[in-house]
Amino acid sequence: MPPEPVLHARGLVKRFAAPSGPPIEVLAGAELTVQRGELVVIEGPSGSGKSTLLNVLGLLEDADAGEVRFGERTVSALGRGAKSRERGRWLGFVFQSFLLLPSLTALDNVLLAARYTTGVDAERRRRAMILLERFGVAERRDHHPAQLSGGEQQRVAFCRAVLNDPPLLLADEPTGNLDDANGAAILTALRDRARSGGAVIVVSHRPDAARGADAVFTLERGRLQPR
Amino acid sequence: MIRSLRRALRGYVFTIAGIAIGVAGIVALGAMAERIVRFIEGGDRFVLGQISVAGRGMGMGAGFTAGGLLPAAAIEAIRKVPGVAGVQPQVMLPLNPSTSQFMTLTQELVLGMDLSVPSPNRHYRTLPVQKGRFLREGDRHRVVIGASFATSRGLAPGSRLMLEGQAYEVVGVLDRMLTAPDRFVIVAIEDAREQWVAKDRLLRTVLASGGVALRAQDLNTGAAVGWRDGEDPDVVARRIRDQVAGVNVQIPSELSSLLRQSTAFFSALLVGIGLLAFVIGGLSLANTVAAAVFERIRDFGVKRALGATDWQLGREILAEALAVTLSGGALGVLLAMALGLGIDGWAGRSGQQLFLFSPRLLGGTLVFSVLLGAAAAAYAALRIVRLSPAEAIRRGSAA
Repeated sequence: MPPEPVLHARGLVKRFAAPSGPPIEVLAGAELTVQRGELVVIEGPSGSGKSTLLNVLGLLEDADAGEVRFGERTVSALGRGAKSRERGRWLGFVFQSFLLLPSLTALDNVLLAARYTTGVDAERRRRAMILLERFGVAERRDHHPAQLSGGEQQRVAFCRAVLNDPPLLLADEPTGNLDDANGAAILTALRDRARSGGAVIVVSHRPDAARGADAVFTLERGRLQPR
Repeated sequence: MIRSLRRALRGYVFTIAGIAIGVAGIVALGAMAERIVRFIEGGDRFVLGQISVAGRGMGMGAGFTAGGLLPAAAIEAIRKVPGVAGVQPQVMLPLNPSTSQFMTLTQELVLGMDLSVPSPNRHYRTLPVQKGRFLREGDRHRVVIGASFATSRGLAPGSRLMLEGQAYEVVGVLDRMLTAPDRFVIVAIEDAREQWVAKDRLLRTVLASGGVALRAQDLNTGAAVGWRDGEDPDVVARRIRDQVAGVNVQIPSELSSLLRQSTAFFSALLVGIGLLAFVIGGLSLANTVAAAVFERIRDFGVKRALGATDWQLGREILAEALAVTLSGGALGVLLAMALGLGIDGWAGRSGQQLFLFSPRLLGGTLVFSVLLGAAAAAYAALRIVRLSPAEAIRRGSAA
């Protein structure tokens, strides 16, 4: 029996209007399938459309053409509300700039992932504390993002991404704003996540990001090419 | 929910302060308008509660009953007119005749009342006394004074007041009514007649000459006339005019209309000030709330990325906007009241009150603020949820 695909994308096209001349086609029929337990790394030069691809795969942005499926369900054609619910059910995000909410403490930032999906209950709080402990930021749970270092912020963001135990984790340049040690720690956490059965897609510039990956692609002229 | 609202409010300190300033402006200007409206309404209520009659001609009598002498015979004739329920002779004089009477709305007046006759004014059967008591039949050289008059001179029950060289004991201070009686000195009509003679050299000369047969009870500047139940006051007033010779009769509805015409400029000015306050304060409030929501566009993008639906986000934005607007509104009301009470404390030393913080003004302003805040937040929320989460994050990060 073939492994169950968590994500399947085909024929993704995304164009942006240019100040002059024809629209810029950032994605030109990109295709990708990711299985459970698989770590996929996407590389490419700056401006090649890696983040746009991740946004489209994560339903943060609509493609002009093509289809995205989570499991058996086509999600790219859903309405705004349904897409939000599917995001909450299927995805966890790790962003380059962490995107923690400045008004919330570290613990509340982690629990934000549950606020709009499962709801925040005692079990979620317990799980959030376990995650913060595992990533060495439990003592900083009552601190606000401005009081945390970059590495600590990204670890908190990682805890938020995995709180609901989503089937697919999308990480956009997760080490881009971190020093080597913190970057390595985050990459290790992403690999561990894949080893424990979750699917992970990482967009990264770092050469060591591809180490241990199940598949590495390069985004060239709007299409994913296996390396 | 309350915890998250409290948490959210912490990030809105400047927004709340901005709203508070806008609301304080609305409330302060509104309170000044309310103060003047109350003054005008008070006068209107007074003139509609009685028929005011004066003797024909011109005299130094002041107020609504300005005119010539109204002798006792005329008062007796008025009493006999069908439909009349009661007639109270009065003497109304300016406290200080040398003062310009241009601004008669704030003039200090001596009102002498015939205390043997109950007040015929349907709206003011008795005047509300804050301290002490009202005058009784037989009281001589005793006064009841208006609240502003008492404050401006530091008078209280038991104090002495000199009027035309005669010492008077203050026996009562009226409630602050924010209309003409606040500046009244009320005395028995016999005392008012003495003061009139003392003030008016011409009257003294006439009386001393013995050329005119005048008795003390003929010295009246006017009379307040009541009507029987079921009678139309305007009809009764016209009947008096037709049946009693030598009198000036004010038709209540005409006098009310005259009063309104004379204060129309102030009314229009107040409406203008009120509208301006609401427009400026409202725009400031709406802009502050909308800007506060747009400022957090990145946060809303992140929340949608984490699974928040439009409905969840809209509800959250609206709840925060309501809490912020209500907090800012309440703070603004307190700010305006502190400012108004401070200024009134200073102005009160000269008997003035500039602000009236009526419940309808405070309640109305809070409701207006909350509705406007909610509308501004809803507008901003609609703009935000139309963006894709990626676009919201991009715009928020670029700001």
